[in-house]
Amino acid sequence: MMTEAEIRQKLREWVVRQSGKIRPEELADDTAIIEKRIIKSVRIPDLILFIEEHSGRTIDVEQLKPGVFRNIDTIYRNFFAVKAHGPGPEKA
Amino acid sequence: MRGLSDLVGKLCEASVQDFYSPYAGLDWPEKLEDDAWYFSPELISLFGSEAYAHLDAQGQKRLSFHEAVNFFSLNIHGERSLIEGLAYRLYRKGNDDYTRYLHHFLDEENKHMVYFGTFCVRYAAKVYPDKKMVLPRDYASGEEDFLFFAKVLIFEEIVDVYNKRMAADPRLHPIAREINRLHHRDESRHLAFGRRLVKELFDRHSPGWAPEVLSGVREYLGDYIRSTWQEYYNPAVYKDAGLPNPYDVQKEALSLPSCRSRHEQVSRPWLTMLLRQGILTEDPYHDD
Repeated sequence: MMTEAEIRQKLREWVVRQSGKIRPEELADDTAIIEKRIIKSVRIPDLILFIEEHSGRTIDVEQLKPGVFRNIDTIYRNFFAVKAHGPGPEKA
Repeated sequence: MRGLSDLVGKLCEASVQDFYSPYAGLDWPEKLEDDAWYFSPELISLFGSEAYAHLDAQGQKRLSFHEAVNFFSLNIHGERSLIEGLAYRLYRKGNDDYTRYLHHFLDEENKHMVYFGTFCVRYAAKVYPDKKMVLPRDYASGEEDFLFFAKVLIFEEIVDVYNKRMAADPRLHPIAREINRLHHRDESRHLAFGRRLVKELFDRHSPGWAPEVLSGVREYLGDYIRSTWQEYYNPAVYKDAGLPNPYDVQKEALSLPSCRSRHEQVSRPWLTMLLRQGILTEDPYHDD
């Protein structure tokens, strides 16, 4: 099982790889990846699959609230940190 | 727009001639047999992969059923977005030349959802969920309309190649063949409309776009093509077909030269058209 630091590192690597426009040192966990169009809407399905693979959960897009993909912090909080606090969505 | 107006007249006439009920004419079996193909083997996303080669004949046929459910699910989600976008564009200023065809387009897309949805719910008890999200942003004049119809065209061009091949594939279960045949019948009109309209919208609006808008549009379409293909590789399908490590299976398949060449072969005709028209300037299969 991955630690929080490992998950955040994997998320940062994914964003840098998919964006092709930002260097690792330019990306912080509070960088607005959607608002700054570092990640575009067309990449969201890939991001969802990436989160599902590493969190072990199926994501119901219809239930998502605005802002969940705003930055690495919100992604971690909404899809990884909640695991310890309740049953969460269906397991993949 | 004279050419578009003439085409719209012909397409409306053809839609009226071809009018049908999606509730009649399809012979829905009570239950589907396991020992049948529901998706042409060569079009199965994993065809050519190690994971596919390790399946026995029954496993390959089981996978073909789930691939069909995924294909029909993708169509349901694509058509739902399309219906929303078409309804929004009815009778809006600047759309006078083609609003009358939008009525047929809407009607026919709704019918397609009826038989795609019936297959998924009746035989798989589910529709694979949509993973797409539209994030609000600002658009240059005409950019949103152009991107809407260009995305519809790309999505439908890919689907139509699959429909034509599977409608003609005698190995497939009759219900799978018939759904593909019915869909192709309407889509050939939608594609004729889309090909003409996308070019018209590009020629009308793109001269007024700033260079960064134009390059952004082209980059977005390139991303959309890649993303549309990726949806055909659904780990949930592989899991339902009983394959272990579905995410690894997806990555392996997407990295295969045979998959890439299938995408290129299916995409080549319309890609050539978009490149020739100057809508795209980079061939997505020659730069990554």
